[in-house]
Amino acid sequence: MINWGKVWSDFFIFLALTSNVGFIFSNDPYQLIVAVGVNLIATVLKFGAKKIFSAELLATALVADLHLIPSAILYFSQIHVQLAVGLAIGAAVANVISIILLIIEMVFEYIREQEEEY
Amino acid sequence: MKKRKKFSLKKKKNLPYGYVKPTNYRAIYEEQFYEILSKLRFPLMIVILFTMLGVLGLMIINNKSDGESVLNYLFHVVITFSTIGYTEGYTDNIPLNRAFVVMFIIITFPLVYLYGLVTMVNVFAASNINEIYRYWRMYKKMETLEGHYIICRFNGITREVMKNLRKRRIKFVLIEPDRNLEQDIRDFGVEFYVIDEPHKRSTLLGVGIDKAIGLVSAFEENTQDLSVIVTARLLRPDKDKFHIFATATTEGAAEKMKLLGANEVIVPDIAVGRRITSFILHAPSPVVSGFLEKIAYGEKTDIDIIEVKVEPDSELIGKKLKDIQMRQETGTTVVAIVRADGKMKIAPSGETIIEEGDTLIILGHPKALKRAQEFVREHTEKHKGEELV
Repeated sequence: MINWGKVWSDFFIFLALTSNVGFIFSNDPYQLIVAVGVNLIATVLKFGAKKIFSAELLATALVADLHLIPSAILYFSQIHVQLAVGLAIGAAVANVISIILLIIEMVFEYIREQEEEY
Repeated sequence: MKKRKKFSLKKKKNLPYGYVKPTNYRAIYEEQFYEILSKLRFPLMIVILFTMLGVLGLMIINNKSDGESVLNYLFHVVITFSTIGYTEGYTDNIPLNRAFVVMFIIITFPLVYLYGLVTMVNVFAASNINEIYRYWRMYKKMETLEGHYIICRFNGITREVMKNLRKRRIKFVLIEPDRNLEQDIRDFGVEFYVIDEPHKRSTLLGVGIDKAIGLVSAFEENTQDLSVIVTARLLRPDKDKFHIFATATTEGAAEKMKLLGANEVIVPDIAVGRRITSFILHAPSPVVSGFLEKIAYGEKTDIDIIEVKVEPDSELIGKKLKDIQMRQETGTTVVAIVRADGKMKIAPSGETIIEEGDTLIILGHPKALKRAQEFVREHTEKHKGEELV
């Protein structure tokens, strides 16, 4: 069975990465707004999740936010667009780590389910 | 099967009481805090999502993506769904913008304002974050306790115990199974308490029985006392390192409790009866009455009585009491000497000679008594040192 709560949160976590990468390559203001919004939602969805890596997942999400919000400020004030893109790349790295942790988490959960069956 | 074994992270230790996880009282309240956070997830998500959609919508309609307009659109969206709305964030193409904003408000007002923001306020209002923080701080501090006492049950007897322990600055943790008494416990000013069943291993481990030095169990029913004593003794088998004191309703029960691991058991009825008898026998001087009992019960904080054993290789052996000059050096008095055969010599004179196997019973101020203990130990060590030379 598909766990729909999980689909929601995973959807936003993956979307955070894809929209971020999209901005890095397009340098488009619309894409940046989407990236910031989706990253914030991904952070909020990690609140209170009872998982093995919940602290690490929340930390990576906060790192991504703290890269993207200054990036948006720099980009829209036209002070330093290059740095804005650089910060977005940093946020993308944090997002990739977040997804790696998510996958490790899935493996652990799978093992635990197997153990419970016996 | 082999692969699965590799992944099992828990290593089961061979403990005498089995594998029991201590109740982590701090974690319970941390969990409650996370619960509040998780309730905020969906309202916050809705607020962020519609802010983003609103800004994007206004950007697309006006076809502007410079910094100033984006900030204006963000401002417009925020004041719209917070129902403040004192000015418009766009300057041209007003009819199209207004048409968009009307649609936006129809959709977002119920979702963002009525659901999102109101739910967030509700979550904070309904959850008593202050209380959670108070408990969390208490249990965080409790984890650092060492050399403390564990007291089970909040009643008249333990109230007196706690009062006296507090006077002597001895730390203690109270375990009370009845949640209705929590307000009384708080009013009494107990620094650390746990509302839980004290006969559970997890509870006793949770209040740090492995670092405690003693336990007091004073239930009204013998069965409860017995279960607490047995559990505590299972966790701390050494009778000299961990003292258990309890109350019992009958002497038979007291005997059983002692056999099962209590160091001392008091039957309140008998203790009170004896005390009254002592008043009758020592009547009617108000000073002397109960003086010794008061010392023995530790009610007086400025005078105390201890016993010090004279080690076999002490240089005090064979000396007269007046020659060791204990009173001059430490300010304490030897009020009695218990000989090796158990006979007690009360109020020994200065001519009394200390023999091997003696126990000195010394009276004095608690600080002076510490000096006296040092005094006896020093004389033993000095002697040992001389022998080595």
